[in-house]
Amino acid sequence: MSVIELTDVVKRYQNGEEVIAALDHVDFQADRGEMVTIIGPSGSGKSTMLNMIGLLDTPTEGTVHLDGRNVTDFTEDELTEERRSGIGFVFQDFHLLPMLTATENVELPSMWDTSVDRHDRAQDLLQRVGLGDRLNHRPDQLSGGQRQRVAIARALINEPDILLADEPTGNLDQDTGETILTELTRLKEDENVAIVAVTHDEQMLEYTDSTVRLVDGVVTEVSGR
Amino acid sequence: MSVVDFLWRFPSVQMAWRNLGRNKLRTVLAALGIIIGVVSICSLGMATAAIQQQATSQLGSIGNEVSITSGQDSDTDGVTDDQVDTMRNLVTDAEVVPQKTNSTTVSSRNGREVRVSVTGVTNAAALYNLTSGEAPTRLLSGALLSNSTATTLGIEEGDPVEYDGQLYRVQGLIEEENAFGFGGGELVLPESALSEQNHYNVVTIVAADSATATEIGGELDEYFNTEDEEELSINTFGNAGQVGGFLETLSLALLAIGGISLVVASVAILNVMLMSTVERRGEIGVLRAVGIRRSEVLRMILTEAALMGALGGLIGVLLSLAAGLVIFQMITGDPLGALQWSGFQYLVYGFGFAVVASILSGIYPAWKAANDRPVDALRG
Ligand SMILES: Nc1ncnc2c1ncn2[C@@H]1O[C@H](COP(=O)(O)OP(=O)(O)O)[C@@H](O)[C@H]1O
Ligand SMILES: [Mg+2]
Repeated sequence: MSVIELTDVVKRYQNGEEVIAALDHVDFQADRGEMVTIIGPSGSGKSTMLNMIGLLDTPTEGTVHLDGRNVTDFTEDELTEERRSGIGFVFQDFHLLPMLTATENVELPSMWDTSVDRHDRAQDLLQRVGLGDRLNHRPDQLSGGQRQRVAIARALINEPDILLADEPTGNLDQDTGETILTELTRLKEDENVAIVAVTHDEQMLEYTDSTVRLVDGVVTEVSGR
Repeated sequence: MSVVDFLWRFPSVQMAWRNLGRNKLRTVLAALGIIIGVVSICSLGMATAAIQQQATSQLGSIGNEVSITSGQDSDTDGVTDDQVDTMRNLVTDAEVVPQKTNSTTVSSRNGREVRVSVTGVTNAAALYNLTSGEAPTRLLSGALLSNSTATTLGIEEGDPVEYDGQLYRVQGLIEEENAFGFGGGELVLPESALSEQNHYNVVTIVAADSATATEIGGELDEYFNTEDEEELSINTFGNAGQVGGFLETLSLALLAIGGISLVVASVAILNVMLMSTVERRGEIGVLRAVGIRRSEVLRMILTEAALMGALGGLIGVLLSLAAGLVIFQMITGDPLGALQWSGFQYLVYGFGFAVVASILSGIYPAWKAANDRPVDALRG
């Protein structure tokens, strides 16, 4: 069973008078231990699709299933709980909090869960992405690649089923981007997590298990399955 | 356990503390607004407390007394024993001191004479202070004489004084309270010395303070008198209360001025909180995206406002305490008066106002940030 599944999803935005369909009857699914890449030109609806998968946004039409449960009509608070327990996010521009150390940034998503102590897991994750010697550094003391690794560790802190990455290598040079992708490939197996990454960069396809190609909100090609 | 470990248990506090530390200048400026508000509220309040304290102490001991004489519609020429007993039953929290009065001429061995008023009273201690030692609570023999009269006549403690054909030995000299400039000497004798008089001329009730005295006066008036029958004439020195009323108005006016400055301070906090949440919109979007609940974001931002208020409030209170010591020193001559509740309460109010006003100004920004949809916040 797919851990996340979009069925016939439509997302329309009202831009003044004009209504645009950012996603036009899209189907999608991903399994644990698999890396799926959504590729397409800028404005093709990749981020919109990732937001549906990440339960940040709800579709205008169609359904979303998480682990077989229909979450389409969940309230914002219910969606927050699902994100909290089962989804991790990596953003193009890292989005680390500048006043927190690397370890604290990784702990952030579970910070308000006083019932669990994630300190050890945070340090362990940082070690595994090669930042064992940067645990107490602040983001401005880290390079772009190091920051993205902190972000990846943060996305894994809650032991998610799905890790979502919107242009994770977009702000990195080619070499750094490749090491980040290698890292993700390794982690998807170690952590048995479904990775859904969005890119407009063909380089990424070397690391992916399957690819969804989007053009103007329509899936034009699914490969690798 | 270090402070950081302790804060870690309160994530909202920890995050709020870090966020305040990010833009220190802005935090300091916002806190400065609060500090000014708190200092103005506190020092104005403490100034009125000092004035009030000073005014009450100048009114002297008379403010806390009720003076009772026979009323217009009384059948007797004084206050009766029965009435005194009734008063004693009614008034449990103050001293009831019945007195018989007269006047006489006291002469010295060298032939000088001074006209003095005579008071026959048992509990002399309730009414008189002596130049040395305590006045007796049961004056059964002997006499007390005003210090000035004794000096004029060359009479010393132990000398005899004659009244109504009887000799009384002077046991102590009365220290005059010149607050109201009552001239004239006074000879205080045991009640038995005036036993020819059946009734008491005056009954004085000595209460703990002027408020209690006023209360007792009202109570007795209600018991003994009706609207058109005045059995007893009951006098409290209510002008003390009137002064209090004026001061209350004054302090309310001053508190209002202080309050306005706190409102200005809260607007500053509202502005700062709005700015900082708008600036951090994307960041808060990230928090929400990774599963931080709306209530948690709300709490974090409210905690920021509260911390800012507490910080400004604390500094404001410390400055106000210093100001209060100076104010009390200037007005009453006793700086430690600032530590009494009548003055100190304004520090508590000031701090409370600072925290409450800050939290109130944090509500809107916090609510706005918490309810921003994460997708919108992340898109910027
Ligand atoms: N919140 C929104 N309001 C209006 N239009 C939007 C919104 N989000 C996305 N769009 C539009 O939807 C289309 C797809 O956007 P997006 O998913 O961000 O594309 P991509 O990530 O592939 O560059 C674009 O035309 C964009 O302008
Ligand atoms: Mg995009």
